[in-house]
Amino acid sequence: MNRAREDILGKLQAAYGRRPGAPAASIPPAARIAPRRPAGPEAELAQLLTEIERLSGVTRRVANQEALRAAFAELVRAEGVKRATCWTTPDLEAWGVAATLQALGVEIVPAHADKQRVASCELGVTGVDAALPETGTLVLTSSPERPRVASLLPRVHLALLRPAVLRPDLHQVFAETREAGYTVLISGPSRTADIELTLTLGVHGPKSLYVWVME
Amino acid sequence: MTQTPATIDFRRNTQQVPLQMPAAVQKATAKFLGTRAAVVDALGNEYWQVLRQAGHDIRLHAITYIDHYLAQAEQAVTRAGGQVHWARDAEEARRILLDIAARHRVKLAVKGKSMATEEIGLNHALQAAGIRVLETDLGEYIVQLKGVGPAHIVVPAFHLSKEEIAALFRDKLGVDAPAEAEKLTQIARMKLREEFLAAEMGISGGNFLVAETGTIVTVTNEGNGRMCTTVPPVHVAVVGIDKVVPDWESLTVLLKLLARSATGQKLSCYTQFISGPPRSEAETGPREMHLVLLDNGRTRILQTPECRETLLCIRCGACLNICPVYNNVGGYAYGYPISGPTGVIFASQILGPKLAGTLPFASTLCGACNDICPVKIPITRILLHLRRRVVEGDESEPATAPVSLRLGAWVGALALGSTGLYRLGSKLLRRLQAPFVSGGWMADLPAPLNRWTMSRPFPAFAADFRQWWRGRYGKARPE
Repeated sequence: MNRAREDILGKLQAAYGRRPGAPAASIPPAARIAPRRPAGPEAELAQLLTEIERLSGVTRRVANQEALRAAFAELVRAEGVKRATCWTTPDLEAWGVAATLQALGVEIVPAHADKQRVASCELGVTGVDAALPETGTLVLTSSPERPRVASLLPRVHLALLRPAVLRPDLHQVFAETREAGYTVLISGPSRTADIELTLTLGVHGPKSLYVWVME
Repeated sequence: MTQTPATIDFRRNTQQVPLQMPAAVQKATAKFLGTRAAVVDALGNEYWQVLRQAGHDIRLHAITYIDHYLAQAEQAVTRAGGQVHWARDAEEARRILLDIAARHRVKLAVKGKSMATEEIGLNHALQAAGIRVLETDLGEYIVQLKGVGPAHIVVPAFHLSKEEIAALFRDKLGVDAPAEAEKLTQIARMKLREEFLAAEMGISGGNFLVAETGTIVTVTNEGNGRMCTTVPPVHVAVVGIDKVVPDWESLTVLLKLLARSATGQKLSCYTQFISGPPRSEAETGPREMHLVLLDNGRTRILQTPECRETLLCIRCGACLNICPVYNNVGGYAYGYPISGPTGVIFASQILGPKLAGTLPFASTLCGACNDICPVKIPITRILLHLRRRVVEGDESEPATAPVSLRLGAWVGALALGSTGLYRLGSKLLRRLQAPFVSGGWMADLPAPLNRWTMSRPFPAFAADFRQWWRGRYGKARPE
């Protein structure tokens, strides 16, 4: 196996006449692009929500704890939620997500439970680590409190977002997430156009994406 | 499923293109080009050109210092707890995957769409070892059920009608399938859901490999890519060595270019960044992560300076969509999983002129591919070099064209390269053509020139250009 490594690197060095271990030249300045200049916070948030809606996501602004309870009651009814799995970050705990769902008669399945059980959830609730207005994109990282499967296996993904997580562009997001072990950018619900180019939502990932702004 | 044929005869393949193929292809490519044009317009053409140049420069830099960046990526992946394997060729890559599968007693593997695994014929090898392997991208799933390869690198099954797909589902899955895109998609979701949860191994490709942190980037829409890399206990990514990029800042450019050029989206639905397996037991995700770095002829491409830029490709498929040849024959005529202009320059070099000597000629050299390419690959310039390689040979390959073609090319070069011979030729041709001309056209020419007149007449040589010019403008030189 190491022979393969030496062979491949050797051929590459021979192709360019480089010594083993030679450093790279610096990256040409023309290969870099300028960061985006953000608009004001309210305009940025409005653009984010517009773009998410354009991608068939459903957005909502939640003013307080009471409004959150009402929103959950509506969602549970509309989507027929019986089981849910959710992140356990301090934000979601503070918003009382699991407790609110339980009070509505929804069973909470821990994300670390058996895969079949997590997959049987109708709803996955997550926070958002960053968001991009220009493309309507949610940025989610992974940690023990942020299970990857919560935004993937259930039929409905609900993301709760603080306005403070908005970032102007990928430059800023990458500066913050480059050391993370896992990051996913989510732009709208899962989609395909593989059959006769007909846009169809909900292939393997969630069929519906709800984004609630916690104000 | 895909197996590389012994020799690719493009001309013969085009004669087997189903009649409905061109219309289906053109419907799809027109749609993609339309959505692409809209998002490019939204950015403004001036900024788009700045992005293309930046994309070109960053990719060229990456492959120029590829040895450095690969070593850096290897170190970073290892530090993150992933295992790195190097594969010189398809055989070695297949063996690495079979070993990993055997170690984990894998019976079922799920696969995201990956041109690198198509290239190494992975499915066939796994199946031969008794492992079920399932394509999970909806289009790939459909073509796998049908037992064929992808007809397009972005939308593999676009040439099949929903009626055909419904019939296929009824036949192969034994389900009641109505001919509706939504219902068929739901059937595939249900069927594959069970497989994702049961699979012991997930296989993916990688759109990019970030050297500084050893991060594998996957760009997908359906969520199957996320499933394959998240749900099974083992994740293996097969990535061509050319996919390496220096850093995350490079991605800000390349991600802007990729989805826009491919599907007209600003960003794909899911873009994942995976640096090794999960860092703690308490995280969800695979327990083990492997990266297979695939050469399989890429080092040879880099040995020829004229051809290196072949490897700048980010596999968006825009050059397929715009290509007049692709639009009339579809993907299968190319006899290789990657088709269209980028497939032609890649496959001709990976397979060599003996197997793929007809491919560089599968182009009109119109240059639309150069203009649409988001990383500015000079595709037609590379094509010309590859044609020359077939006819004359170069430092890396001997000539493979038949003697008649080589002789013809030699005579042509001689005649067109000398004023005297050119003048003599133009006089001679007008004499020689006389028996065949009728009403200004030649309807039938003797072999081998009848390859042209079989399908359309050839216009007769009307006059000596120099004489015509003198008659019209006297001694003035052409501007």
